[in-house]
Amino acid sequence: MTDTDLSRQSSLRLSRRHLLSGMASLGMLAGAPQALAQKRVQIPEGEFVPLPIALPNFVAGTPSDGEVSIGVTQVITNNLKRSGLFAPIDQAAYIEKIVNIDALPQFQNWRTISAQALLTGRMTRQADGRIEARFRLWDVATGQQLAGQQYVTQPENWRRIGHIISDQVYERLTGEKGYFDTRVVFVDETGAKERRVKRLALMDQDGANVRYLTRGNDLVLTPRFSPSTQEITYMEFGQGDPRVYLLNIETGQREIVGNFPGMTFSPRFSPDGQRVIMSLQQGGNSNLFVMDLRSKSTTRLTDTPAIDTAPSYSPDGSRICFESDRGGKPQIYVMPATGGPAQRISFDQTTNGTYSTPVWSPRGDYIAFTKQGGGQFSIGIMKPDGSGERILTSGFHNEGPTFAPNGRVVMFFRDPGGNSGPSLYTVDISGRFEQRVPTPGFASDPAWSPLLS
Amino acid sequence: MKVDKTLVASVILHVVVIGWGLVSFSSRVFESNPEESLPVDIISSDQLAHVMAGMKTGKKENPKPMAEKVAEAKPVEDAVGKITEKAPVVTDTAPPPQPKPVEKPVENKPEPPKPVAEAKPKEEPKPVEKKPEPPQVDPIAEALKKEEKKPKPPVQAATPPQPQQKPKERTFDQSKIAALLDKRDPSRQATTGETLNSNAALGLAKGRAADNSATWGSLFKAQVERCWKKPYGGIESQNPEAAFTIRLKRDGTLEGMPVPEGTPATPYLRVYQESALRAIIECQPYNLPAAYFDEWRYFTPVFTERKI
Repeated sequence: MTDTDLSRQSSLRLSRRHLLSGMASLGMLAGAPQALAQKRVQIPEGEFVPLPIALPNFVAGTPSDGEVSIGVTQVITNNLKRSGLFAPIDQAAYIEKIVNIDALPQFQNWRTISAQALLTGRMTRQADGRIEARFRLWDVATGQQLAGQQYVTQPENWRRIGHIISDQVYERLTGEKGYFDTRVVFVDETGAKERRVKRLALMDQDGANVRYLTRGNDLVLTPRFSPSTQEITYMEFGQGDPRVYLLNIETGQREIVGNFPGMTFSPRFSPDGQRVIMSLQQGGNSNLFVMDLRSKSTTRLTDTPAIDTAPSYSPDGSRICFESDRGGKPQIYVMPATGGPAQRISFDQTTNGTYSTPVWSPRGDYIAFTKQGGGQFSIGIMKPDGSGERILTSGFHNEGPTFAPNGRVVMFFRDPGGNSGPSLYTVDISGRFEQRVPTPGFASDPAWSPLLS
Repeated sequence: MKVDKTLVASVILHVVVIGWGLVSFSSRVFESNPEESLPVDIISSDQLAHVMAGMKTGKKENPKPMAEKVAEAKPVEDAVGKITEKAPVVTDTAPPPQPKPVEKPVENKPEPPKPVAEAKPKEEPKPVEKKPEPPQVDPIAEALKKEEKKPKPPVQAATPPQPQQKPKERTFDQSKIAALLDKRDPSRQATTGETLNSNAALGLAKGRAADNSATWGSLFKAQVERCWKKPYGGIESQNPEAAFTIRLKRDGTLEGMPVPEGTPATPYLRVYQESALRAIIECQPYNLPAAYFDEWRYFTPVFTERKI
């Protein structure tokens, strides 16, 4: 073969390859419009609307279970409604009566009343006297079962069953952990304004099952739940100096935390429940101390000629936020849990307000605080670096925020002024849904427990 | 080495053309962004006939033909108009025509806009919109005023001799003229109908009032949004997005279950996707223009939190 032949062959091969690639490109061009033809329609900016949910009364397994079945349904309805994220549909509108929760509901009947979710359940008393609860959560549009569980418990715990099912529904339909199976400890206030009797009280988060933990002989303040045990720490004015106490809810046993020569106040548990952090007054100043509950050893965290108080741990226990007037006015600072340099995070340029009672969210994403400025007390949240400050509510007197265990709701107390007294309120961290929490009398200083289950 | 020049030229040319084609044609996926709605009113033939009849009757009396001219004159909003008003105020002949329009404008109002809508959609549709909306009361007053004004210029043209005579008498009473001029200015301000229109357009873009949409995409959006109960995700910006591939039948119902694109990474994203799925299913059948069936028989709605 000659050179020219080779070259001609190679050029031929080249041209073939190009031809092929060219045709492939053409094919792509021809195919592209089909692939792209599927149009994407953007649906932005819908509105947040409470989810319409149908909650027919739970079916009674035996004739004697009618009362508890209706009760559980009411607890769930009330919980979901109060969260602000659900709109329970009035039972009068229901077309279908659920008689058997194991049969598939006629979804068309629930679609007609524009329910998007449907909760059915049954309460049955068993031979051993215990009560069995079952529920199924349905997606009405698709006909899918979203969740289903069964629980067995003592009959007197039926309200907790309602709370636990509420949590399941909440978690499945919002994607967030629930907070209904929780309790709140608060200071119950009765009597005339000059002679208020303050008692420590405990209740379910919906205001039911109120229990008094102290008799009201001595003034009590700032109760806080232990995250891990059935214990509460609080401050009490006994004989002599006010002290921080530890109280076991179950046994009623009570002890003083630490042995300090002076007033101790504003206690709070560490996230593991093993330590209590508090303020100790020393002359005109106060500093932060932490005490290990097992070894009883105490550690000093701050040493400043200022008032450092209201400490609160971050959920991982690595940092502490607290209130200090070291800069002249009370502001919020953050420092490592072992002490060390503190960084101021609260700045208010507009009203030059002061910040107090910081509390770290169990989710770790926000710090709630009380802000005083412009003649008003406000409850707000900010990120742990001090950015993104939002005021959730403000008025004559709002104070003492505490987070629900899922970090989505804040409880606080509000005093309208005048001759009346304070009461408890909850507000969602967007500030949208604010609601009063029913209490027997006046109430202040709420503290939310962790999830019980 | 011997290479065929034409072959080389051909190859280069092909590469260039195809390369260019690849770059220029392989653009982004068709994105349908929400567009400003155009209010469109459809008039049936008998309505149109009615309108036409109304115009015929209108010709019998002076005010109706004037109404037509008024509609055309709307764009011409000049300060000059205020000046020209002075003349009608002066004339006493003007009042007699005014009472008549007051009675008839109520009937006429619906009529004039419609013919206009066919001819010039851009400006005339606005009066059509006003009627359903709160400012309804104003359009009537405006229309009245407009008709009051408009008759006047024709009066000037038609009966020039009368004003000329009377002004001579009036000129003696300068104070009266001044008083009349003052009254006219406020009335003119009240007739600024076009500012109202722009407000109405803002309301459409922002709110959910408008069902009259420019494309089938926004039509679908408006319909599916009614059923969408978006789960509350807190204040953190999670930027959720849920896309589905859906096939619709010609009657606007779903051919099958919507197919979600991708699996959600977090519980909230799952809930978000489920809420969008519920909305798509619940809101069918969709009332979309049959002419574009080929486009909407198979498409991808994207529920998103991302601001555009």
